[in-house]
Amino acid sequence: MSRYEKLLNMLMDFDGSVEFAVISDTTGEILWNSSRSNLKLKVPLAETKKILKRESSDWIDRCKAEDRLGLGRALYHITSFQKIKQVTIPVDAFHLLYIVVNNEPMAKSKMKSYGRLVEMGKIMSIVDFVNTFE
Amino acid sequence: MEKYEKLLNMLMHFNDSIRFAAVCNTDGDIVWNSQRKGIKNIVPLDETKQTIVRVIEAWAQNSNLENYVGSGLYSIASYEKIKRITVPLADGNLLFISVNNPQTKNSKTKSYGQIAEMGKILSIVDFIKSQK
Repeated sequence: MSRYEKLLNMLMDFDGSVEFAVISDTTGEILWNSSRSNLKLKVPLAETKKILKRESSDWIDRCKAEDRLGLGRALYHITSFQKIKQVTIPVDAFHLLYIVVNNEPMAKSKMKSYGRLVEMGKIMSIVDFVNTFE
Repeated sequence: MEKYEKLLNMLMHFNDSIRFAAVCNTDGDIVWNSQRKGIKNIVPLDETKQTIVRVIEAWAQNSNLENYVGSGLYSIASYEKIKRITVPLADGNLLFISVNNPQTKNSKTKSYGQIAEMGKILSIVDFIKSQK
């Protein structure tokens, strides 16, 4: 099993709200993917492929910016919608991680809810952990 | 006071970690902005304007997804030193915020920065939207 497959497995095991996880290359081509059983994807695959192309291009810019502007390492990008959050993380120089997380508000919220918190610290820890493997 | 000016003032008062806030129109032009006193921009304004233009394009594409996943709420690009947040406003306008992203001290595990309080930020945006 490649470390990228291992990463997808660990992410799906870690959090039941992760609906879909993808490793793409720097052009946005899907190399590995994992979707939760019995769960229909909310976004059609054709749209996901368009998102990945754009995110890949944006990440090239972000990584250039981190060097040029002294922002420190570029960590992650989240786009939040009412029903899902899309998260992208550069795994290494050649691979991008894309995760779709359920963002349906918790019931019993006293105030208006804008969705669920994504545990980015834990997700980043998993990515860094898997990156320690050759 | 124009409502977007009020929005920027409220955001700057709400959270000291907000360094810079701007409202941009559909062309990416900054129509209102607020910079915290004594804080120097890490990112030159020209670079920020380029980022805003790209983000506006991205949100235009994201509108294709609304039928599947509801409307877009916000985006966060997180770097070690700052987070860059965008929130779509009415009429195609965009809120852009730059927030400090200090690493949590005394953390037992590696820190990837602090949580942006998006619930509170979105509450302020909704409050301003509700104003005539």
